[in-house]
Amino acid sequence: MLFVCPDSIMPTMVSAGEKSIKLCVNLIGVYTIWMGLLQLLDDCGITQKLSSLLSPVIDKLFGKLDDTTKKLISINLSANMLGVGGASTPSGIKAMSRLDNKSGRPNKAMIMLIVLNATSIQLLPTTVIGMRITAGSSNPADIVLPSLLATIVTSVLGILLVNLFCKIKKVT
Amino acid sequence: MSIYILPIIIVLLLIIARLKKVNAYYSFCNGVKGTIPLLVDMFPYLVAIFVMVEIMNVSGITSFVANILSPFFEIIGIPKELCSFVFLKPFSGSGSLALLNEIFVNYGVDSYISRCACVVMASSDTVFYISTIYFSKTSVTKTLFTIPIALFASFVGAIFSCLICKVI
Repeated sequence: MLFVCPDSIMPTMVSAGEKSIKLCVNLIGVYTIWMGLLQLLDDCGITQKLSSLLSPVIDKLFGKLDDTTKKLISINLSANMLGVGGASTPSGIKAMSRLDNKSGRPNKAMIMLIVLNATSIQLLPTTVIGMRITAGSSNPADIVLPSLLATIVTSVLGILLVNLFCKIKKVT
Repeated sequence: MSIYILPIIIVLLLIIARLKKVNAYYSFCNGVKGTIPLLVDMFPYLVAIFVMVEIMNVSGITSFVANILSPFFEIIGIPKELCSFVFLKPFSGSGSLALLNEIFVNYGVDSYISRCACVVMASSDTVFYISTIYFSKTSVTKTLFTIPIALFASFVGAIFSCLICKVI
């Protein structure tokens, strides 16, 4: 595009900037509510319970972690499974900054968290089902089972690859 | 049915807060406080990835690469109609949702192509977006093999999605 239509590069970039600020404004709305509710969940001791419930899985995948990080990761993963992006992203980002050891390189737990989120373990693809209903599908939910299988495949593959590569490249 | 879950959870939460003598109001406000700093940290990275995706789409690089890859995609079982969709997916969440709607319109919502696209959509998330946002509050400058692994896993997920839609 730089050479074909050089005059459109600036408008394109500016419109991208506008889009990102629009997204940010949307996200402020979503995240304020979720971060407020999550704090409430935390103060009521519910995240603590969730964390000890998920503890065996988290210990296995992420290794030894302190309590707060464990809590954040358990919120992140369970919100991810339920398809509540507004709750999973803020807790995921907080967990990432707690896992960071300031070395400029990610450690195994950080890579694991990103790969798990990127491959998303979604139990119910609510957005897609909603779109299918709107589009007038005769059976909007018939993609639930294949989606579940596919999401399990991507997540398991992701976990295996992270473990494998961390071993090869000696990332701890 | 599922639309009742969230309101019920919120009401339950307020009742639990009452029982545990937690001040729900201050608790909520305390949590909200962190939102703006979080988004301020995220913002520059968000802009960078949006500019990149926008330029790729407008300049036609996306469709160009998708066209080149389509024969290769067909060999491994991804229908050529889904080529640009599978290719765009890791970059842009809103973009692939728009494309998904287009696929519904063009091929019919209950067709094999549309169902494949749905499963591909649900099987993984926007890899580049997630990685950018999640690294935004850390010191990480070298992401090592994080993105290749995530991309590879979601790509295999896409192949698997197209396969499983033939069976189920």
